[in-house]
Amino acid sequence: MPGPDLLSSQGLRLDGRRPNELRRIRCKLGVFTQPDGSAYLEQGNTKVLAAVYGPHQAAKSKMSTEGVVVNCQYSMATFSTGERKNRPRGDRKSQEMSLHLRQALSSAIKTELYPRSQIDIYIEVLQADGAAFCASVNAATLALIDAGVPLRAYACACTSSVAWRGSQPEPLLDVGHVEEAAGGVCLTVAALPSTGSIALLEMSHRLHMDYFEVVISRAMQGCRDIEVILDKAVREHLAEGWTKQDIVTI
Amino acid sequence: MQIDKEESKQTTEDIKICIPGMRISASNKETISGAGTYELDGYIYTYLAGILKSQYDEVKKVNILSIESPKSPSVLPQMGDIATARVIAINSRLVQCQILCVGPTVLARPYRGILKKEDIRDMDKDRIDPYKCFRPGDVILARVLPMTELHAYHLSTAENELGVVIATAEGSPQGVSMVPISWSEMQCPTTLNKEPRKVARVIPETINKEFVFASQPELGKS
Repeated sequence: MPGPDLLSSQGLRLDGRRPNELRRIRCKLGVFTQPDGSAYLEQGNTKVLAAVYGPHQAAKSKMSTEGVVVNCQYSMATFSTGERKNRPRGDRKSQEMSLHLRQALSSAIKTELYPRSQIDIYIEVLQADGAAFCASVNAATLALIDAGVPLRAYACACTSSVAWRGSQPEPLLDVGHVEEAAGGVCLTVAALPSTGSIALLEMSHRLHMDYFEVVISRAMQGCRDIEVILDKAVREHLAEGWTKQDIVTI
Repeated sequence: MQIDKEESKQTTEDIKICIPGMRISASNKETISGAGTYELDGYIYTYLAGILKSQYDEVKKVNILSIESPKSPSVLPQMGDIATARVIAINSRLVQCQILCVGPTVLARPYRGILKKEDIRDMDKDRIDPYKCFRPGDVILARVLPMTELHAYHLSTAENELGVVIATAEGSPQGVSMVPISWSEMQCPTTLNKEPRKVARVIPETINKEFVFASQPELGKS
């Protein structure tokens, strides 16, 4: 089956990774003091800042008696992409991303605990090098944990694509900008890996049903890998906080 | 990667750090879920990041598992709670307040509250004048009523123990709070001005003045 040549003859990808390798993820919790919770996350060259405010009393128009209203704003810095953007937010793509973020994060937050309240999540993409949405979900999860918002589980997101080795499909994990631009499918999965449930699923192109299984299982594996990384970051952050406070161990 | 995992394991054994969505125990007669945890399908999961605490309840003979988090999750005013509020504005029908504390906990952000004219006191309801019961800036104790309207919490001071706790008389220096002289009047100790208020009969044990000041540093300082 013809497709863009994403794998070299040695089986390495354009940026030298193996098909099942993530890009390097570096993250930090509590980067700001003004919001209730904040986080910075780097996934390869994709860099994202997240800030969380709330829960606080909701605006009249948004209020719901069932649970907390999650308000997301996704914005890409004008210098984040190769070509300078003229609108950081409010364009179609950003609005769509905001809606997707809201869906992915609402499923992770225990919304029923705070009726008539609202949580604001602000995402700023500083540099977009593929999978900016995934980095946003992961950063927002860290920011929510930093804010002390009750979460059912971690929400992690990952992309996967597919390359062809002869006629055999080889799923690629964590698609970079170059691979994204080369065409071919890009499957975005936002999941709660510890429960195994999927919060959001999006695919950019068409893919034959027969190959879908391998691609989504690779993406889910990526979500689980990311969860381990985020988990470690949270533990380090907490341990740091506790050594400062000098709490008696149990 | 392998070494890192081992390291994190060691720290978790020293002080049991929990992350959201972690299954910490089965839920049965001996162990039940406490603050920061939730039950699902017979297991207890955490919903906050923090340290695991296990407390034994002598009366019920159960272990309560709870999470102690560096940032405690914010609380919401619940029906029946005693709220500490500051009066913002008054009109002839209702009093607008800002709920600052619920019970012993200080809210991270103030919530809007409304005290309707008929909820100010129990007796002589049709002759209540809100202007003679409260002034803007007063700190009051009030009970949270069930939610009927969507956008604000309804409050009531229709009990002897509820009403104005801290108030400054008109023209008095800031920080000099009036002393109650009857259930409907307060007097300033410096200017000896008397002003009408719906006074709360504060029982010394239930209200600690330092606590009220601690929640509003700007009042305590001046």
